[in-house]
Amino acid sequence: MAVVTAREAEDWLIEKIAHRLGVATGEVSREVYFDELDLDSTEALILAGEMENWLGFELSTTTLWYHPTVKELAAYIAEESAQRAAA
Amino acid sequence: MRPRDVPPPVARAFRAAAPGHRTVYVVHPGALAAQVYRGLADALPEGDGLTVLDLGAVPAYAEAALTGGRAATTVEALAQELLGHLEPMPTAYTLAGWSFGGVLALAMTGAMPAERRPERLVLLDSIAPTEEYKQPDDALEPELLLGWFAMYLGAKRGRSVVPDPGALAGCGTDEGLAAVLDAAVAARALLPETPLPGLRKLYETYVDGLLRNNRLTAPHHPSPAALPLVLVKAERSLVPGDPTLGWQPLAPHGLTVQVCPGDHYTMLSRPDSLDVIAPLLHAV
Repeated sequence: MAVVTAREAEDWLIEKIAHRLGVATGEVSREVYFDELDLDSTEALILAGEMENWLGFELSTTTLWYHPTVKELAAYIAEESAQRAAA
Repeated sequence: MRPRDVPPPVARAFRAAAPGHRTVYVVHPGALAAQVYRGLADALPEGDGLTVLDLGAVPAYAEAALTGGRAATTVEALAQELLGHLEPMPTAYTLAGWSFGGVLALAMTGAMPAERRPERLVLLDSIAPTEEYKQPDDALEPELLLGWFAMYLGAKRGRSVVPDPGALAGCGTDEGLAAVLDAAVAARALLPETPLPGLRKLYETYVDGLLRNNRLTAPHHPSPAALPLVLVKAERSLVPGDPTLGWQPLAPHGLTVQVCPGDHYTMLSRPDSLDVIAPLLHAV
């Protein structure tokens, strides 16, 4: 399993969020809380499922609650990805 | 979508009652945001109030939908918790419950002293927690669940999502989800590029919420209602062919059934449905 870096995860998340919101990637801050984006719970769960498919491992549904910004979620994904690759 | 410093309130007043007027309490089991009751609050007679008792703000209940559908609580414990959020009652009040909220509303009336009971108990498209209507988890076939999920998704997105019935008949989850996705994209409820794995995550969370309610209902043995019951059934109910959704044995003081337009979810927001529901929350 390839290791996903925090930068790769950030880029992936920002591209997907920007697409869903219909804005340029430069307009999505890595620091903004997901619930401050115009992204409702339906879209957030769909995004989480798409992310699981990309990563190749499952994320708890509560992951977005405990890592509520692009920056924090990307850091968590990188850590989780590295642990799984090493296991 | 982040850990909250201050937990959300269980009792959410959407409209305060004027002095001497009725408050309608509605037990809400989640799935839709509590804000869906804004329209119902506005449809009540002048002076009446509406407060939502939001189970989504009870952690033991709400988190179970995010962690596999097993809640470390019981119907009885939830009913007791909700009773603690009722204000002292100087005037008559109505207790209502939508969907699984109806099961909770009945349990609340059974757990309260006679002098605190509501004047009316109204069940909004709720399925009775009787043995005949309890289902083991594996009885919830993908065809049934996917039909409900399409209804739910449509209500969440403000569009009518109606998959081809032939595509869901006897289907497995993956092929049925693909049919729901096609219907949702065609109805503009989802973006054209929405991936199937993304929709699957939403579906699994939805099903975990249903399983949670199913598992809470399984060991619950309700007492018959101590007051007459009013059931409002949606035209596109979860169990459309059943006239009383199983409530007759629990209604020794009478059961009145009214049908409202819409489906299980849209009945809470459609103006023509609210025109049916609002008077039933008030009339004696």
